[in-house]
Amino acid sequence: MGQKPRGPGRWPGLLLGAVAGGVVFGGALTVAQDALADDGRMQGRALVEERCSACHQKEADGSLHRIDHVRKTPEGWTMTLFRMRQFHGVALSDEEQRTLVRYFADRQGLAPEEAAPYRYVLERRPSVVEEPVTDGDLTVMCARCHSVARVGLQRRDEDEWRRLVNFHLGQWPTIEYSAQGRDRKWWEIASTEIPQTLGGKFPFRTDAWTSWQAAPKPDLSGRWAVAGHRAGIGSYGGTATVTKEATKDGDGYRIAYDLTDSAGKPLKGEGRSTVFTGYEWRGTGTLDGKPVREVFAASRDGSRLDGRWFLTQQDEVGGSLHAVRAGGADSTILGTSQSFLKAGSTARITLWGSGLDRGEVGFGPGVSAKILSRGPTSVTVEATAAADAVPGARSLTVGGAKSAGFAVYATLDSIRVEPDFTIARVGGNGGPVPPMTAQFEAVGYLNGPDSKPGTADDVRVGPMPASWSVEPFNDAAAQMEDVKFAGAMGSNGLFTPAGAGPNPQRQFGTNNIGDLKVVGTVIDGSATLTGTGRLISTVQRWNDPPIH
Amino acid sequence: MKTHANGVRPMRIRRSISHLGGLLAALLLAASPAAAKDYLLTGAKPDKLVLVDAAARKVERVLTIPGGGVAPGTIVPSSDGRIAYVVSNHMGSVSGIDLDSGKQVFRADFSTGDLRVRSLFGMDVSPDGKELYVFQAPVRMLPGEYRVEDTRIAVYSTADGVGAKPVRLLPAPRRVAVLAFSRDGGTLWALGWDLYGLDPKTGAVKETHKVLNWSRANHSPPDVLDIWPQFEQAATLSTPYFTARTDLAATDPGAFRTGLMTLDLATGRMDMRDFEDTSAVIFSSVVSPVKRTEAYSVYTQLTKIDTDGGKLVKRVDLPHTYYSINVSSDGKEVYVGGTACDIGVYGTDTLDRVGQVEIAGCPDQGIASLRVIRR
Repeated sequence: MGQKPRGPGRWPGLLLGAVAGGVVFGGALTVAQDALADDGRMQGRALVEERCSACHQKEADGSLHRIDHVRKTPEGWTMTLFRMRQFHGVALSDEEQRTLVRYFADRQGLAPEEAAPYRYVLERRPSVVEEPVTDGDLTVMCARCHSVARVGLQRRDEDEWRRLVNFHLGQWPTIEYSAQGRDRKWWEIASTEIPQTLGGKFPFRTDAWTSWQAAPKPDLSGRWAVAGHRAGIGSYGGTATVTKEATKDGDGYRIAYDLTDSAGKPLKGEGRSTVFTGYEWRGTGTLDGKPVREVFAASRDGSRLDGRWFLTQQDEVGGSLHAVRAGGADSTILGTSQSFLKAGSTARITLWGSGLDRGEVGFGPGVSAKILSRGPTSVTVEATAAADAVPGARSLTVGGAKSAGFAVYATLDSIRVEPDFTIARVGGNGGPVPPMTAQFEAVGYLNGPDSKPGTADDVRVGPMPASWSVEPFNDAAAQMEDVKFAGAMGSNGLFTPAGAGPNPQRQFGTNNIGDLKVVGTVIDGSATLTGTGRLISTVQRWNDPPIH
Repeated sequence: MKTHANGVRPMRIRRSISHLGGLLAALLLAASPAAAKDYLLTGAKPDKLVLVDAAARKVERVLTIPGGGVAPGTIVPSSDGRIAYVVSNHMGSVSGIDLDSGKQVFRADFSTGDLRVRSLFGMDVSPDGKELYVFQAPVRMLPGEYRVEDTRIAVYSTADGVGAKPVRLLPAPRRVAVLAFSRDGGTLWALGWDLYGLDPKTGAVKETHKVLNWSRANHSPPDVLDIWPQFEQAATLSTPYFTARTDLAATDPGAFRTGLMTLDLATGRMDMRDFEDTSAVIFSSVVSPVKRTEAYSVYTQLTKIDTDGGKLVKRVDLPHTYYSINVSSDGKEVYVGGTACDIGVYGTDTLDRVGQVEIAGCPDQGIASLRVIRR
């Protein structure tokens, strides 16, 4: 109660400044970019020698103790430098920090395939439930406090992992006493078995990194076809134009979005980015007039960009983004304005992608499509599903391009609330940490061949208009009147938590946390279907680092 | 500034009015120990030690702990009730504050050179008042890396005053949270994974009562975390524990059990006894000095427990969370404190709220100990 957070809100600002900081280096730089990049590398090493080597001494092979033996993401290096400034008083200007993050991420980053399993944490996706790690005790020893991803996005050898464990208990000696740490001999395990396991699983030297270091890094400039989905709002698509922008730290780009939403309303955006490690796109800009950040990964060959953008000040609100090069020889379908059609109905549907200006457009059996407009990156059709169209999944085709993720239905068999489990956080109310909302969608499903709901062969139809309510998740939630106090569920499936702090109206004067069953109700013809999910609205995150 | 013969500094007039009664009381008490009454000691953020006249429901004195930090932690009164040793400075120091003069009469800063040392909750003073025992976790701050060192108990001579250095360093098991001297001073009990009876001279483990390593059939190792030393009134250390029945389904009403561990500091007798199917979070507990089979526990609810029968006698809701609890010398009142800025007073018969003490300005007590002294 009444805790004074050490500095909530500092992390996002720092990330914005340090990682997605291409924006500050705008200007008509005319010097060749490679020379600038070389300059950046030299500056980076010079800064390391100057500011770090007093503590990180040279080892016999000339490498710097610790620094030269770790690989991390740009966010990981940002956190390291934050810690060095915060805990150890290292004097670094924000600009110097940007230079160093760039330097380290390029020199000691992760290969694309090393980062791939854990991108959700970099993208700050709000509703990810991680798979337990089966190696040793890693889930229990590490992932009770951190995400598994935080561990999986670092590479060190055993002795270096052991030093990290020493730092953990040295800096936070109450770990052994915490609810997550005291059910076992935490230190004894953490200092022996765990570094060994981690060194085997996530070692410093890997073939993947060696290969990526040698690989040519893609130039991402050009015109891109784009599509994505915003939970609770819908899909969007269009094009993005990426132009190279020389910065003193190396590759930087400007991006301009020309998109429409699923209803055809224009959606404009622009931004600037820095690309770390040859593929890690970190951008800042605006979309639909709102400040956003972008975390994308380019594919090895530079033919794709995939990731997520989110509101700068509210990172749980955002959308997916997938992009392929526009104008190539191949056709690709990236997304659709809607993912379903009811038998006996007609709808105007837009497909987004590349090379869509040629070839036949097909929605599969029982669906006819009349082309209304067509270009290389989108085709809009009037699609009609016959009254007797067989319900089920369909493949969309445009020429040689094929895409799953479309369905025809007569009546929905079930509704699932997605995500089926997530969290929100109380906030605001005069406190320094804003609330964290939670967005739900009511997604229609068909039972699929086995005629049973909730099985693997269910066919996902898509998000449906729904009405929303919340109920106590269990007896304890009913007794504490969580429904009354925890917050409000909006008509669009957006849950807004109540204000932070003790609430004198509640039993024990407790805060406005709650454990809720989320109910989405969909009217489908004469049928009423409901789906349920679980929402725990919990306390503020006082410390909000770039990687949780 | 002149110091009076009794060691009490005259305070400035504008401050003295509210303290005058207390000063007079202290002077009278010094001459008349038979009139001793209960005072509560608690801490308040960021750097205050608070002395409360329990019967009067009144803050008697607010003393400042010098030297940094954001929250006082463990508080240990000297056996004569004149000095309170309190951990502060981000768990990096202990200050001995004279409760009459407010003066810092003892201070030990734990860290030295490249060894950064934090105390982790466990602290007690020997019954003769001569030695202060502090459980510590050191880390070596080497160039470019940390190295965790073995935990230890540092022994300070209270006579060494400000700037005290350890007179002995005793080896100690990790994860100790409470230190409590046996009544005769011959054993220093340390509650960690198990309850260790240590030789205060050498730190050697003389005896061990198993706690997490118990061998109770069909029960998971109990979960114990109690950082509140609240054993002075009954000379009995107590702590709640939580265990799961491994032979029952998690949905079985009896699958999770709450119990109380008690250690009689006079006899060394230790007992662990369930008293309910788990139905409440409990942070800490205290045993009545009068009805010695009665204990009280606290978090969002106040609970009366029959420790002999292993039964929950009564439970009432509290207006908010309290971490710490203590009991009056006559056994008639329990005091719930910690967390926020008030101390609630409850009758032990009915568990009715019979009073409260508010700390001016409403500073959080946080995890500070709630101790009872006789003055």
